[in-house]
Amino acid sequence: MLRRTALAATALVAATALALTACSGESAPAPTATGAPDPDASVAIRLVLEPGNLDIRRTAGAALDQILVDNIYQGLVSRTPEQDIVPALASDFSVSPDGLTYTFTLREGVTFHDGSELTPADVVWSLETRRDSDDWRDAARLANVDSIDADGQTITLTLSEPDSTLLWNLTGRAGIILKRDDDVDYNTAENGTGPFVLDSWRQGDSITFVRNEEYWGDAAQVAEVVFDYIPDNQAALNAALAGEVDVVTGFDANLQEQIEATGDFALVLGESTDKGVLAFNQSEGSPLADQRVRQAIRQAIDHQGFVEALASGQTLYGPIPSLDPGYEDLSEVAPYDPDAARTLLAEAGAEDLELTLTIPNFYATTIPTILVSDLNEVGITLTVESVDFSTWLTDVYTNRDYDLSFVLHTEARDFENWANPDYYFTYDNAEVQDLYAQAVASTSESQASTLLERAARIVSEDAAADWLFNGASVVAVGFDVAGMPSVNVNERLNLAELTKSDG
Amino acid sequence: MIRYALTRLTLLVLGLVVASALIFLTLRVLPGDVALLVAGVNSSPDQVAAIRESMGLNRSLPEQYLEWIGGVLRGDLGTSLLTGSSVADEIAQKAEVTFPLGILSLLIAIAFSVPLGVLSALRRGRADGTAMSVTAQTVAAVPVVWAGMMLVVVFAVWLGWLPAQGFPRDGWADPGAALRALILPALTIGVVEGAMLMRFVRSATLQAMGQDYVRAAAAKGLTRTTALIRHGLPNVGLSVITVLGLQVAGIIVGAVVIEQLFSLPGIGRMLVADVGARDLPKVQGELLVLTGFVLIVGFVVDLAHRLIDPRQREAA
Repeated sequence: MLRRTALAATALVAATALALTACSGESAPAPTATGAPDPDASVAIRLVLEPGNLDIRRTAGAALDQILVDNIYQGLVSRTPEQDIVPALASDFSVSPDGLTYTFTLREGVTFHDGSELTPADVVWSLETRRDSDDWRDAARLANVDSIDADGQTITLTLSEPDSTLLWNLTGRAGIILKRDDDVDYNTAENGTGPFVLDSWRQGDSITFVRNEEYWGDAAQVAEVVFDYIPDNQAALNAALAGEVDVVTGFDANLQEQIEATGDFALVLGESTDKGVLAFNQSEGSPLADQRVRQAIRQAIDHQGFVEALASGQTLYGPIPSLDPGYEDLSEVAPYDPDAARTLLAEAGAEDLELTLTIPNFYATTIPTILVSDLNEVGITLTVESVDFSTWLTDVYTNRDYDLSFVLHTEARDFENWANPDYYFTYDNAEVQDLYAQAVASTSESQASTLLERAARIVSEDAAADWLFNGASVVAVGFDVAGMPSVNVNERLNLAELTKSDG
Repeated sequence: MIRYALTRLTLLVLGLVVASALIFLTLRVLPGDVALLVAGVNSSPDQVAAIRESMGLNRSLPEQYLEWIGGVLRGDLGTSLLTGSSVADEIAQKAEVTFPLGILSLLIAIAFSVPLGVLSALRRGRADGTAMSVTAQTVAAVPVVWAGMMLVVVFAVWLGWLPAQGFPRDGWADPGAALRALILPALTIGVVEGAMLMRFVRSATLQAMGQDYVRAAAAKGLTRTTALIRHGLPNVGLSVITVLGLQVAGIIVGAVVIEQLFSLPGIGRMLVADVGARDLPKVQGELLVLTGFVLIVGFVVDLAHRLIDPRQREAA
């Protein structure tokens, strides 16, 4: 009993500290375990969205990147939680001053999980096939790569024009290195170079990774990681309370007290690039084609209300979150002001507006509830249409058949969608498209970032959409677990440092 | 009897054919397609088209139906669009959870509903009989989800006796662990379904008590209870079998909800996930197996009824 009380007190102190760091917008470190790390440990991690298959070449969805990139598959370069680009399968790399030549030195002694050695030919084949295969994901991200050559362990990428996003893209799906002409069934199996090996997948239940004993780098510090797919938050809390999982990701921060009352968990709030985007269909003929109407909607929404209802995250007033280059606080562009909203609506002759919100059904009902009441306040009647994701993809994403739509966009550095008039956002601004093209073609990082910042301001001033909140990575971590990533875990979960203590 | 069985069998086959066509057509009404889900947001129409082509989704409906039903007749339920794995294998794997769960639920339901139903009928008009009847009515009205959550809070979270969710990763390799994982979910369905069954047993018993043959037996010197047990209950049992046949469908529906709540990797949870993912060949296979199962149970119940009840045999 004494031990439990002591733990609970520690948890309280830790939680307060975490809450404070979360407020200051810095990522909080995971709690530190006190016992010795157990090399034979098995760690159970609750995740929310299970992938439909494991094919990293073709299948979209953050559920795949989250577990497979870094842990199973690797590229020449990778990124840290702080979003810095670091060497991975390449031991080092350089970019020519004109931004047209990228040179990588491929590590020696790297093997695939099937035991075969990683060769420069595998690298050339992987990148070329990625670029040239229409049905492979992110093929377009390598569009500027003219040629890929290998000379000994040196890999050279020659570009047709400078591309400041290339290195970043190589840290993601586009840069994954696979074995040349492999015959593995990528739907259910894998053959990567990472610190973990896929052990089993019980569909509808869990995926298990075990340590890769032949790993080229520092071996993983746990013997096994089990990803338990538990979509329901209450079931996840029960699992934690009953001691069946060691880590709970995607947690509802409102349940913080309940999970910390166990004395076994602390809640960690990390930054993320999750953007709750309220899209406006501004195609011709829609009442939302009028900038004043869109601006009115933005000013009618109490953004702080979302942060409070979710008990996590921070407000966001533009398309770029604070973890990405080009971020700027744009809160003055659309401050909460229902009176100003009513005036704008009157000017636009859009009183008694009736709109429909199309929202995928796996999001919390708090989001539409707040929107309905905020918009009702300024005279807009909002009807909520909750649909499954597949329907959303057809109706909203493909057919643009919607007024307002909500989706949590988790990808980092995805500004390109605001420069693409064919995207479902239906936002078309030549100046923004030009600024984005310049940012991509820029050979200096700071210049690219400045250009993005300017473009983002225009997007926000045009009220191209509303950004309801910038989500946080909410992770409940057991006190015996250390090295659990806490930043942007919905997108990527590098488990190389994960440990579990025996005490 | 044989003629009846053959007629009934023809009806069963017809039912399956109609069900297969209905399942196939109603699923085609759903908006959304799996190629788009695979390609995802940030994909170009070309990419979606390439994926659709490679999945064989651009063929005509009759072509797709004939191919599917032809496969089913050869015992092949097809392959999943998403994983490329065999639908039959997937169902067989998930059936290891769903069928034991269903059987356990049914046993629990019968175990307490039959004795309590008879008892509350015998106690009619007295305080304890009324209390039993009212309790059954109340429990039958409880939503399965809520009942499940309460059981989890008490037995898993507070007492720590049973797991709160999930199923052993190695399935039935350790039967004790697998059974423990099923107790709370089965109890949840069993209690709610059992409460409905109990009300039925009670009214069937009351009806039997009013029958001439029971009264005649009582007049011959048996106590009312003994007369009921010897002569009335076989008839009660007969009608209970019929109701149980119907309850199988209810238990399957209950399993869909309960498997979500307890994160059990069964057919119900797989079905929900596959509908969401528009993996139509898989959903078709799953629905056909479940429908077939309910139809076959109905068939068996009807035949059993004939065999047991002499009056129906004579009537034929």
